Formats: sequence, C-alpha cells, structure tokens
Amino acid sequence: MELRLDPDLETFRTEIRAFINEVLPAEMKERQRRKVANNAAVPDLLEWMRILNAHGRSVPHWPEEVGGCGWSPMQLFIFNEELYNADAPEFDWGGTHMLGPVLYTFGSDYLKDKFLPMIREGATMWAQGFSEPGSGSDLASLRTAAELVGDKYIVSGQKIWTSGAAHADWGFFLVRTDKTVKPQRGISFLIIKMDSPGITVRQIPQINGEAHLCEVFLDNVEVPADQLIGEAGMGWTYAKFLLEHERTTSSFIYWSKRELARAKTIALGETIGGRRAADDPAFRARFARIEADLLALEWSVLRVLAHEEFDVPEAAAASVLKIRGSELQQEVTMLQVDAMGAKSLRFFEAAPVPPPAPTDAWPDYAPGRTTVALINRAATIYGGSKQIQKNILAKLAFGL
Amino acid sequence: MDFAKSDIQTMLLDSAERLLSETSGVEYWREQRHGALGFDEGRWAQFAELGWLALPVPEAAGGLDGTIEDIALLNIALGKALATEPYVSTVVLADHVLKQASDEAMALELLGEIAAGSLRVALAHQENGAHPLDTATAGTVARAADGGYVLNGAKLLAVDAPSAARLIVSARIEGEEGLGLFLVPADQAGVALDAYPLVDGTRAADIVLTDVTLPAAALLVGGNRGAEVLQEAIDRASIALMAQAVGAMEACNKVCGAYVQERKQFGTAIGSFQAIQHIMADMFVAAHQARSMLYHALSNADRPEAERAAALSAARIVVGEAGQLVSRNGIQVHGGYGLTDEYAVGHYFRRLMCLEKLYGDVITHTERFGDSIFA
Repeated sequence: MELRLDPDLETFRTEIRAFINEVLPAEMKERQRRKVANNAAVPDLLEWMRILNAHGRSVPHWPEEVGGCGWSPMQLFIFNEELYNADAPEFDWGGTHMLGPVLYTFGSDYLKDKFLPMIREGATMWAQGFSEPGSGSDLASLRTAAELVGDKYIVSGQKIWTSGAAHADWGFFLVRTDKTVKPQRGISFLIIKMDSPGITVRQIPQINGEAHLCEVFLDNVEVPADQLIGEAGMGWTYAKFLLEHERTTSSFIYWSKRELARAKTIALGETIGGRRAADDPAFRARFARIEADLLALEWSVLRVLAHEEFDVPEAAAASVLKIRGSELQQEVTMLQVDAMGAKSLRFFEAAPVPPPAPTDAWPDYAPGRTTVALINRAATIYGGSKQIQKNILAKLAFGL
Repeated sequence: MDFAKSDIQTMLLDSAERLLSETSGVEYWREQRHGALGFDEGRWAQFAELGWLALPVPEAAGGLDGTIEDIALLNIALGKALATEPYVSTVVLADHVLKQASDEAMALELLGEIAAGSLRVALAHQENGAHPLDTATAGTVARAADGGYVLNGAKLLAVDAPSAARLIVSARIEGEEGLGLFLVPADQAGVALDAYPLVDGTRAADIVLTDVTLPAAALLVGGNRGAEVLQEAIDRASIALMAQAVGAMEACNKVCGAYVQERKQFGTAIGSFQAIQHIMADMFVAAHQARSMLYHALSNADRPEAERAAALSAARIVVGEAGQLVSRNGIQVHGGYGLTDEYAVGHYFRRLMCLEKLYGDVITHTERFGDSIFA
C-alpha cells in the first residue's frame, strides 16, 4: 500500500483543465453556473455532448471500440471532477451512463449500431422508465405489460418519476413480458420511442417549482420487437448490471465537492448574527464536519475505483457510496441554505429564464440554492431509498 | 497510488495475525488490565523479535526503514487486537524525535535499543489547561546551568510513561525562543511520577519535575526546531492511533455482526429485525469511511505542514466520530451484556474513547480544520 497521488495524474489534470477551458463556450458556462433549476437546459446539454464528441471525449468511460478514451479509473475521476469544477453541463446520464453500458454489453448489433452513435453524438435525450406508482422500492413488482404480437410488443401500463420524459426522444423501459414466472424473471428491457402513438407524458409539479419528473402513460403502444435488449426475461439482470456498472456515480462526489466550494463562497459573503457566517463557530464546525465527511467519501470512491481488496463483497463498499453520497448532497445544499439564513426563503423561478441581475443583497449565488436543496430530498429516495440501501448493506456486510 | 499490500506489508500482517490472534480476547485483556504495566513484557519482546519495534528505525540503526503506510497497517492489526503495548509512544513518537536529534550517534544507539526491545520512551508534553495541539509552548522551564540544564515544571497525562525508562520532556529554554525537547531518565532525581490507568487499561502519569539536573547532551532538539519536530511526531502518532481505531472498529463490527445473529429474542435472531440491521449498516458505513479517511491522512503525511495538519484533523474528525458511533451502537445491540467487562464490545468502546481523545479530540480537531478551511 502506497497512497501518494501519482504525479502523472496532475499533468493529466492540467491537460483536461486546459481542454475544457478551450472548448466550453463562455455563455454556456455562465448559464450553468447561474442556473436556478436543478437540471441543465436540454439544448445546452446536447450541444455540450456534440462539442465533447467532436473531440472524441463525450463517452470517455465506454470501451475504446465504441468511442471511449481508454482512460484509467483515476483519469476518468479527474475528467469528471474537472467538468464539474468548470461548470460544464452534465452528461445526459440516462444515455451515456445507464443505457450505454447495457447496450454495448447486451444489445444486438442492430441496436448498438443504431443507438450508440445517437448517445455519443448528443443527438437524443433519454428517459428511464423503471418505477411505477405501485412499484417503488419493490421494483420487481412492476406491472407495465409488453405482449409479443408478431414482430411487435404491445405495451400498456404506467411509469412514474421518469426524469425529463417530457423532453426525451427515446426511453428505456422495464416491462413485464411474462406473468407466469417469478417476478424478477418476467421482466424485459425495451427501448421505446417517446413520440409513439399511445404514450402520454404528464409533467409532475415539484416542491421546488420545477416539473422535471414525469408520469408516462402507455396505452397499447406498438414497439418493434427488435428494440428488446438482449433476451426476454433478463431485464432485471440488466438493470442490476446497470446499477452495478455505475457503482461510483451515485456518490455524486464531483457535484457535492463543487457545491461545497460554493457553500464556502456563500459563508464568506453572508452573515450570521452580524458576523460572517464563516466566523460563526457553530457554522464553521458544521462546515468542517461536512467537508471532512466529503473527503472520506472521495477516498471511499477511489477505493472502489481502484478495486481495493475488501473483506466484504465490493457491492457493500459501493452501497456506502450511495448512502453517504445522498446524505452529503443534502447536507451540502442545506449548508448553503442555512448560510443564507432567512434570505434563502425567497422563491426564484426555476423556469429557463435568466435569474435576476445580482445585487449586493442578492449575489449571483443566491438564486437556485433553495430550489436545488428542496428537490435534493429526493437523493435519499431514488435509486433505492436509504432504508433499502441499509437493508442491502446489512445483508452484504454482515449476512443479516 | 496503490492499495495493494507490498511483500513486507503482507509479511507484517501475517506475523501480526499469528501473534495477536493467539494472545487477545476478553480473558487476555482483563488479565493485562490488572497487571503491573497494563501489558505483557513477554509479548513486547516478541514484538521486537518480529521486527515491529524496528519498523520506522533507519537501516543504519538495524531497522527496517518502513513507510508510514507500513506503520499504519501494523497498527490496524494492533487496534483489532486491542493491544495495550506502548507501541505508538515508543516506536512512532519517540523514534521520530530521536531521528531529528542533533547528536546522531546517541540517537542511533537509542533507536537500536528501542528496536531490540530493551528501551521504551514516552512523551511528556501535555500540561494542565494547555491546548492539546499546541506544540510551541510549555510552562515547564529549562534553565541553563553548569554546562547543562535544570528542568522545573509539571506534565499531565503522559501516556505510557509508567513503563518507560526515558521520557521526552518539552520545555521552554530560559532566554531562548521556541521549545526544547529533552531526554530525561524516568528515575532521575527530581522526577516524580503519579501513575494511573486510563479507562482502556493502558497507563499514563502526571509528572512533576523539580530541579531535574541534565547534561547538555540531554537536549535532543533545540528551541529552533522543537515545536516543528514535536508537531511532526504527534501527527505521526495520530496516524498510528487512527489506524488502531480503524482496526478496533472493524473488529468491533465483526463481533457485533456475530452477536446479533446469535442473540435470540421473540423466538428469532435480533439481526433479523430491520431496526438492528439499520444500526449495523450505519456501523459499517462509519468504519468504512473511517478507513477511507485514514488513507487520506496517509496520502498527505509528507505534504507541507499546513496541508498535512488539515488532512490530519479532517481525518481525526471522521475517525473519532466513527469510533464512537460504532462502539456506542455496538453496546446498544448487545443490550445489558454490552455493559459488562466480560464481553468484548465494552473493551472496544473504552479503547475507542481513548483513541478519540488523545492528541486532540474531535472538538479540537474540528476547530483546527475549520480554521484551515477559512484561513
């Protein structure tokens, strides 16, 4: 064991930082930095994918033969960290990080040829249709049914919490193709075009003023059978693969680190009880504790990326990332909110309008902090709630 | 950066596994606790035979020239076994000060004695009311006299001093800036030890120094470098203690994981209840994050002082809190048995409490880390 950082990585970081600085348009960066909404506006997100793709860096984590960069896990870590630090738009995670790996691992040549370039080139937005009104934590109970009739699946049912479905061109869905077997064995993984007849999308108004989450109603939607990924009945396995493949993503480490830096700016700009928030002992102690916890999370991520040998299944170490990562997203955003005191209560529209011009009382960091903190309560709910994660962890680590 | 263990690290851990698994457990701990020194001198001799006492010693003094990672890995093993030997005081702290001593020949000889197991050294720096992380000042005073020094002062909570033949005493040298580090024989005239056990069975002492007369050679590190060397030594000790805490937490988790599967209430193992499972999951998360933070401290161990201190304090916060979360919850899942001296969990609890508080507790390190963030 030898834990000092490899000096070559610092050279790589310098190169990546210069690259992003060169290709990220200044107005796009500014829109990202000042956005009120939690999610990037679709046009910026796709345009950014096209820019990265022009340099062969839109899907660096994919295998080289499908457009990846062949970087080490540490290089990928640095690339992502620099993207966030530069306020670049996020990836369309659904396409690049969730569907992509499932496609190139299990998809037919037809599907790979058709969809991988679309994802890589930023040509499409993707929606993830997993949860249903009656199937949240108990996902395997999902009921949206797909019946094979000739060379088509006829799909009927309802999905919920489908992020960005209103703006998505395509979606990847878990559907039930066999009701006669054990629930997990009857699920299949299907790609569906979102403007197919029979699909209705309703945007759900959220507690932060956004309507990013959607309900998707499917009423006898016809889907070409060749849009089935892999084998019928293997959808559950592929979905688990997808989650395990992205085992460090759920830590949100890059995002939380950037937001902690913003919290520091706020702490230096706002006052608590007449003095700088940064000088308030209670606030400073809380900040120190959160920053220390975030450093621990970062090393926990590195340990998984580097495949440290654990004496428990690696999935247990990944589960820690999800639990602490989601908690820390919430702690960091609440730190921002609390540093602003009552000023955090002002409601700013999340709609894609430019936020008000900054003033002394309302600096450019003010709009958006509470909007993001409010919706961040979701972090400990989606992707397997914190309580489900703890059930899993108790089993993996202790056999309970 | 490499998480895999080197050959020497694998050998160290294999030897630790062999020796410590034979000699640990509640019976052993209780026996040691009631012994004269709080540990077994026979086992200390075995530490020497296995080369553990030579780990950070330079090759020139017959040592292994081990890295801080080597020391950390061995201390994880010592922590798992709740070893009460004065390893950190003698082999981590004192070694570091001796390596910086101006009289190299004398230092090498002493390091050789430490490596052989024939000398134990403890630090006497802390004083009542002083800031635990202040290495720049001391109320104890050294006055130059007859070509040597005369020391007067009072030290508090000198960990492992009762079993040490020599003490490293910090003192302000009259008429000079900074802090001197003096090597003082524990049986020197004018040195009075009030020895007592700590809650984990290790030993400490308050020390009163009354006109303690020393030769000039007793000044190991002069006033210009004393504070810096002491800070480095304490930081290294902190890393070793954190490693012990990580080991103790991981062992405590194993014990608790087994216990909740064994203990039955309402006709079933209590580990089948979600309320217990979620506590156990929290304990695992805490111990895992603690180990991550040990790695963070190790990664920064050779960085410039401000960075090193910030990383260390951040690590001490996470490790300190985690040790308490793990062991307090460990007692909770044991119910009443957790409060008895006859179950391991209470031993982990007391050891982890000591590890959290020595060389700066969570509150102190939170302050120091907060200061570094907003410096």
